[in-house]
Formats: sequence, structure tokens, C-alpha cells
Amino acid sequence: MELSKKQEEMLEGKQGRGAQKAMEILLAYGECYNAKRMIPVTSVHMAGNFPVLLDEGIEWLEDLARDGTRVLVYTTKNPEMFDFEQAEELKIPHIYQVRQKRIDAALRSLGVTLTYSCHHYLVGNVPRFGDHIAWASSGSQVFANSVIGARSNRDGDHVALAAAIAGVIPEWGLHLNENRKGELLIDVGALSLDQYDPSSYKALGWYLGKIVGTNIPVFINLPPNMNIEEVKGLLYTLTVTGATGLVHLVGITPEAYTLEAAFAGKPPAFSEITVSQDQVDKAYMEISSSSDENVDLVIFGCPQCSIQEVQEIANMLEGKRVHPETQLWICTSAWVKTLCKRMGLLDKLVSSGARVVADVGAADGPHLYLREQGVRVIAMNSARGSYYAHNLFGMDTWFGSTRQCVQTAISGRWEGRKR
Amino acid sequence: MRVKAKPVTSGVAEGQAIVSRMPISFTGGMDPDTGIIREPGHALEGRSVAGKILVFPTGKGSTTGSWQFYAAYKRGSAPKGIINVKADGVVAVSAIITATPMVHEPDKDPFECIEDGDYVRIDANRGIIEIEKKKT
Repeated sequence: MELSKKQEEMLEGKQGRGAQKAMEILLAYGECYNAKRMIPVTSVHMAGNFPVLLDEGIEWLEDLARDGTRVLVYTTKNPEMFDFEQAEELKIPHIYQVRQKRIDAALRSLGVTLTYSCHHYLVGNVPRFGDHIAWASSGSQVFANSVIGARSNRDGDHVALAAAIAGVIPEWGLHLNENRKGELLIDVGALSLDQYDPSSYKALGWYLGKIVGTNIPVFINLPPNMNIEEVKGLLYTLTVTGATGLVHLVGITPEAYTLEAAFAGKPPAFSEITVSQDQVDKAYMEISSSSDENVDLVIFGCPQCSIQEVQEIANMLEGKRVHPETQLWICTSAWVKTLCKRMGLLDKLVSSGARVVADVGAADGPHLYLREQGVRVIAMNSARGSYYAHNLFGMDTWFGSTRQCVQTAISGRWEGRKR
Repeated sequence: MRVKAKPVTSGVAEGQAIVSRMPISFTGGMDPDTGIIREPGHALEGRSVAGKILVFPTGKGSTTGSWQFYAAYKRGSAPKGIINVKADGVVAVSAIITATPMVHEPDKDPFECIEDGDYVRIDANRGIIEIEKKKT
């Protein structure tokens, strides 16, 4: 791999030990994929939180930060376990408070902006079309590639952080035009998509992820008025059961304004994959893992709720109360929580028994202590959240629409489709 | 038997092979305390990869896998060496930060020439896999 003079100096340790370590990681990574050179990155996002970092991961971060290493590129961070302002309200055990403080300190020292948000593109980390970026977190990576048209590989945190410190990333994979062409034509025209809500799109994504694998799919016959929550529902679920980094939604993805553009040439004469409603219905049922209909917790926010979603939940709860045996959590960023206060939504939600929790996502962080507090059966409108809460934390999950989840919070029993 | 492959990292590792034809996710899929694969329905479910030469097609799942692999490595529960058909970025960086010898893109189908229990040596400096078949 060809390195610039500055990159050689980093590798020799002339810019400090942290920069040296970052360049060593990037060089090995680039050579593995036959990259010819490093290219500048404009935006970085980190994914891991304590449940995956564990103590060894915290030590790795602290070691990296030890000699004053700083990021050169705007870098944001995914949700953590809790918001310190709510530590008492949520009864956060001391051991987690200590861990999160150490993560806070190491990241702050590295210059990572402590957004604790997975909708970082709603709170300031917005790359432009064609930008080279390093976004860990498979959901936001596919969003960046497919909706914004920025370019990120499925890098992982250690590569993303190294890129932030060195300011560059090896040029390979989805950074190159020739690797962004569509590979698989998917026709969804047989489905009644005009009757779909975001949860149906998640079931569709769940089914198709397994078929797509690591290929770049091209979707045709999506409705032209498909809204952003539906787009997110499809994309964020495709990367749970599959590992694709780029999805061409013809008419939506900037590089796929036509079918020909998506394939960078002649598209296949017939679509390789057509989807039936039966297949989507079957996938919908597969997402839930629970059989116990008494629900301990209804949890929204994977990815974190936008202000529009919080408003939607608040409207459905209007004049109702959350069941005394069931908790209702709305997970979001600190920014959206501030907006909720300003809009009078927070008071309304709290008085109906709901909780707005900042700095966390519904898929992982909180389940560490919620489980210890006896929460077992949870209901979600996120297929992605259901998968991780079940597989990482052993929660029993129900999956359904936003309305079914709100009704469940009111009655205390699962109100959606049963397995 | 010798098979050529492309180095991902450097170094040499040898030990018993454990082979999965299914992709592996280190986050959620492997217990970092024991190295036991815990994904329900996985080909290696209930079996430990600790101290083994792990042979699998590619990575999948969460991009946070390199944190879980690093924790497993520090706890002595990570595989000693890795052979992939195609290295996913998350698995590649897991090997890089732990200096675990790893190769990918072998010349021959690894599932044809390596079985559970074979004694395998990875020379990631030269890009060579040496396989000594287990005695049957």
C-alpha cells in the first residue's frame, strides 16, 4: 500500500503512540483488502457500548487515550447504558455507573462527541453525497450508503476509531464506484404496499435479509411516497438477518434514480426475486420469541425515536394510563428529550405513566440492568431490537406495530399477532 | 497437505481445527468468557473455539464483534488462529488488534480439506496453511 509522508510518520510513531496504533490497524486492514491508498474521511460514528466492550474494551480505549491521542474528524457515539440525570430514577447499579464514567472520560479525552445517539444524522453528523465516511453500526452504515449516498464499509469500531484518529481510511469495497453496482433485482410489486406500515416493512426486511446476504440488492416497485420511517424499517432490518452494506431503492437512493443507474448499465431482464405476502407474514411471526402474553416492558427506540415518533406514541396514549404491572419506555437522544420537554410532551407522557429515557437505545444498553430488575417479557415495534434483546440479553420478545405496542402498555397483555 | 492463502495478519499459530460452514457473529454468537458458540441453531452451538484454529466462511451480524473478540482474547477464550473463505471487516480487525494469525481466500475449499480435529498450522507470514489429518 502506498502511504503519504505524513502517514509514514504516523506509522513510525512520530505523531504519538495512539496515532501509530491507528495507522498500524488501517495499514493491516487495507492490505487485507488490496487497497492501493488511504483516502480522507469526513465523518465517523462509533457503535459499541459497555455490554459489548466489557472491562477489556474500556481498558483498550483508556490505553489509546493515554498519551493525548485525539480524533481529527467529527466523531459521534452510539447510545450507552443510561443518562446520568436518570441514574437514580432508573436504579442504575453502582458497577455500571463506574463503567460508564470511565467510557465517558476515555471518549471525551479522545475528542469523540458524546452524542450517545444512533440517529446521529438527525443531530449534526450529516455527511454529503459521495463523502467517504466510517460509520460502525450496521443499520446507520446502510442508511448512509443507501439514503444519503455517502460511502462507508462495514468497518467495525476499531477501524472507525483508527480512521477518526488518522483522518483517513483504506480505499476498498464500497468506497469505489465499481463495487457499488446492484447485484440482485428484487420486485416487491406483488405486495399491497399501500397498506403497509413501518412494522410490515420490517417483516419484509427480515425475510429478504436472509436471501440478500452480503449482496447489493436493487428494489423496484416501492411506492413513490414511501416515508422515512418505512425506509428505515426496511433497511435497518435487512442488516439484521443479512450483512449487506448498500441497498438501491430505485427512486429513493441517490445513485439509483433509475433502474439502469442502480445497475450501472443494463439491468437483468427478469427480477431474480419476487416476494409474496405469505412470506412476509411468516417472517412477521418469526421475529417474536415469546409465548408469555403478560408483558413486563414495552420499549420503543431501536433506532432511537425521532420527535415525530414520540409525538405519535403520545397521541395514542392520550387520555389513557399505562398498566401498573407494565413499564413503557421511550428511548431517544438527549436532543429529542429536550424537544419533548419544550413541546410539553414529556409532562403528558410522564402523567400517563410512560418514561422518556435519553442516551440509550431499545436494543441493548438498558437490558443489562432491566434483566437484573426482573424484566423478562418485552414488546417492541423494532425487529432489530427484538433480535438483539433476545440473543444478547435473553429477553422474551413480542414484535408488532407501534399501535399494538401502545395498546399492550395499557392492557399489560400482548395485543399484537401471536405465534 | 499445504494450501496457499492470503495473509490478513502476520505470525504463526498451530492447533486443532474447529470447522463451521456457517458464518459467525462474535457479538451475541460467542460467549467471551468461555469461547463457546451460543447462537441457537448454529453449527457449532455449545462448542468452544478457545485455543483452536477456527475455520469458517465469513463474519456476520453486529459490527461490535471486535470488542467481544478482544475480551475473549484477554480472557484466554479466543481461537489461536483463523481461516476464512472471505474476511469480513469485523473479523479482520478482530485478528489485527489481537495479533491473531489469520489468512483468507485459500486456494482450495477449506471445507473440503479441513475437518474438526485435524492439526492445522497457519503461517500468516508466508500465507501457508499446513494440514495434518487426524488419525481415524
